[in-house]
Amino acid sequence: MENDIILDVQHLSHVFRLNRKTKVKAVNDVSFRIKKGEIYGLVGESGSGKSTVARCVMNIYKPSGGEVFYKGIPVCKNREFQKNRKMLQMTRQMIFQDSASSLNPGIKVRDIVAEPLRIQSRKIRTDKREIEKQLEMVGLDGSYLEKYPYELSGGQRQRVAIARALLAKPDLIVADEPIASLDVSIQAQMVNLFRKLQKEQGFSFLFIAHDLSMVRFLCDRTGVMYHGGLVEEGTTKDVFSHPEHKYTKALLEAIPVPDPREERNRRVMKCNEG
Amino acid sequence: MNDPFEIVGIRQELQNHQMQEQENRRYRAIPWFSVVVLLIIVGGCLFCEKFMTKDPSYMDLKNYTVAPCREFLFGTDTMGRDIFSMIWYGGRQSLFIGFVATMVSTGIAIIFGTVSGLAPEWLDMLLMRMTEILLSIPNLLLVIFLQAILGKANVLSLSLVIGVTSWTSIAKVVRTEVRQLRSNEYVVAARCMGGGFFYILRKHLAPNFLSSIMFMVVMNIRSAIVEESTLSFMGIGLPLEIISWGSMLSLSEKALLTDGWWIILIPGAFLVVTLLAITGIGDYLRKELNKKESYL
Amino acid sequence: MRGEQVLYYGKKLLIFIISVWVLSLVTFYVSRLAPGDPLISYYGERVEKMSPEEREWAEEKMGLNEKISVQYARWIRQAFHGNFGISYKYKMDVLEVLKSRIGNTLVLGGIGFLVIFFGSLFLGVVCAWKEGGWTDRMICKVGTVISCVPEFWLALVLILVFSVSLRWLPSSGAYAVGRENNIMDRIVHMILPLTVIVTEHLWYYGYMIRNKMLDEIRAEYVLLAKAKGMKKSRIMLFHCMRNIMPAYLSIMAISVAHIMGGTYVVETVFSYPGIGTLAYESARYKDYNLLMVVSLLSGIIVIVCNMAAQIINERIDPRIRISRQPDMQEVREYE
Repeated sequence: MENDIILDVQHLSHVFRLNRKTKVKAVNDVSFRIKKGEIYGLVGESGSGKSTVARCVMNIYKPSGGEVFYKGIPVCKNREFQKNRKMLQMTRQMIFQDSASSLNPGIKVRDIVAEPLRIQSRKIRTDKREIEKQLEMVGLDGSYLEKYPYELSGGQRQRVAIARALLAKPDLIVADEPIASLDVSIQAQMVNLFRKLQKEQGFSFLFIAHDLSMVRFLCDRTGVMYHGGLVEEGTTKDVFSHPEHKYTKALLEAIPVPDPREERNRRVMKCNEG
Repeated sequence: MNDPFEIVGIRQELQNHQMQEQENRRYRAIPWFSVVVLLIIVGGCLFCEKFMTKDPSYMDLKNYTVAPCREFLFGTDTMGRDIFSMIWYGGRQSLFIGFVATMVSTGIAIIFGTVSGLAPEWLDMLLMRMTEILLSIPNLLLVIFLQAILGKANVLSLSLVIGVTSWTSIAKVVRTEVRQLRSNEYVVAARCMGGGFFYILRKHLAPNFLSSIMFMVVMNIRSAIVEESTLSFMGIGLPLEIISWGSMLSLSEKALLTDGWWIILIPGAFLVVTLLAITGIGDYLRKELNKKESYL
Repeated sequence: MRGEQVLYYGKKLLIFIISVWVLSLVTFYVSRLAPGDPLISYYGERVEKMSPEEREWAEEKMGLNEKISVQYARWIRQAFHGNFGISYKYKMDVLEVLKSRIGNTLVLGGIGFLVIFFGSLFLGVVCAWKEGGWTDRMICKVGTVISCVPEFWLALVLILVFSVSLRWLPSSGAYAVGRENNIMDRIVHMILPLTVIVTEHLWYYGYMIRNKMLDEIRAEYVLLAKAKGMKKSRIMLFHCMRNIMPAYLSIMAISVAHIMGGTYVVETVFSYPGIGTLAYESARYKDYNLLMVVSLLSGIIVIVCNMAAQIINERIDPRIRISRQPDMQEVREYE
């Protein structure tokens, strides 16, 4: 049963030190697990520590407390990390929120997509057909190979970022609000794309968002974060049908209903708990 | 065209005209004069064997301090060497030092600036303080010490010394640029994927900050050439036997006594013209790059 | 607020002391590690005829046979009591040697600095005023050409023209022999060195002022002032000038170091008896004690000026204090 769990976050906390006096507790004692092949959604308002969790999981930040186990390896321990460095860097990939900033503006799409392989195997030339296949998988054709990121739209750029993450055949993808900067119509496309890719490739997926409707549609399980803590967790169905925490209820109340008559009669509840 | 209300926005022909104008201005803005002059000087120095009238290092003891004439186009110096040949031949050394010293200092500056820019706050502070202390040692003394440690001066050791003492200002700019670039997510992403220091520097950082240090690098060539000539003139750079524009000018004290104006003026004029040409190109680069920045 | 200020200046002072200490350490070690024989500057030619025993005795007398760390410890102990040792070459207390020279350098550098300070301000404002006109273009062209001329060569040309050919001005020294107290004579001796120092740096800073001024008059408050009917001279001299002043002051603080470096070169060309020639001599001939004092003095001046620039940047200009990002712009514009 143990092998079934790919990511195990235990009592993770992270403190940012602004200066000598001020500290910000961004994440406070967060624990959750992701099974193999599962899509796990992490929701919460901005500033609730979702991105910090993602960055701790990816070893970008060193957490000030707690431990992250990936395939049983405590990745926050420096020695363990170094020992399994190559495997960790290949099988965990990240997708960022702002595709304009996560793709280097001076590099062609083909090189961006090939980057993970190039870093790890030091191959100068990567098979062009492989990259093309990768792009097709995310819905872009071969004509995009020679383009620069600024020639693409936001959705296309995000697809390139996904292609880059997928090229390494990862077991875990961490996506930090990958759809937040896109238009609503594109958002739906992207969520469908994620679903399709996940079915095809079977990776585990940590999906971070503040848009509940997308999470409801995409994720198997959901955790709700509020002020740095994980206030509620469970299968998506349970969380959405029987919210237990006040904040979750407030969040659910805030989802717009696509029916003007019903929308008008709603009262939006506020959550003032500190 | 018949309907006066037909036109909305800029008229098509007007637009074309303006584009043409812009294109023209761009073309004209390139400092052709500087480029051509620099090419002539660099070319002349590289291929000096083809047209040198004398052996530049041969001391013709009968004809010392001869004013410019048919035989000695630019005259001879106080040791009887032909200045015309020396200028082209010595230009090699001066230009070589300019380029190598700049390569050394730019290399150090990029590495140092990137390390400092990527480092955590405290290390960054420490490194910057270190450069400030280094800057506070008078340059002249530093050069004398380094030269003494490296032993007898030759072209390479002098380039090294000049390079090692002139990297700080570029390093500062590199550091600030890197500090801004490193928060870009593509740098974070590359780190996540396991990109090492040099990979990130080469692939993601350098292409983005090169444009902002290009002007300084060109100006660094200029100041390296000036420094070579100043040091050689003062007798702590290249010795007399190694011909360069600086070591040619180090004879000028004697030339002053014998009223040999050509020994001072002609090599100096070459030096100044070269520096002017480099400055012209540098200024063009700065304006070009600034323009791009303001468009963003 | 007061406590914060004390903390701020205390920190600066601490950094200053550490910097000076590291500077002395580096100079001490590097100068001693560099090959060369300090005995030559003391005994001159006689060194070559010395027997090994005599040499050893001489070295012991001057304390040169011990480990460098021991020597440094002794030097710093004595320095705290104001004893910086004797100069090997002049066989006097180094402070005495310094005292006899420093006046000359201060006068030369000080006057040069003042002329550059006001001259570049004037030139920059004039150019910005006549932006694009022929005055502006002329000054810019001439300035660029002059700034390309190496300092020592300009000095040589001036000597060639004014001393050798025309015989109007003396070519070296600070005064003619036996006329130390004649002020006119000293002024005459200073004309050429001063000209070189000023022309070398004037346009560099003038151009900076010009560009800053041009940025400034494109700001919107200028448009408003103009729309209100204010005169051009008033806008430029009172409003724009006040805004560029902090940046200019900090740049000029750093310029002190550059002008000082230039003074050193000029002094050597004109054999002007100042700190520059002293530094050059002592470094070449390993006059250790003198070298330490001279490089510490120059280093302290540079450090103090850099700190002044920093303080101006961080404290005086309120815009920078708010935005908290002084570094980048200053470096950019300064280069």
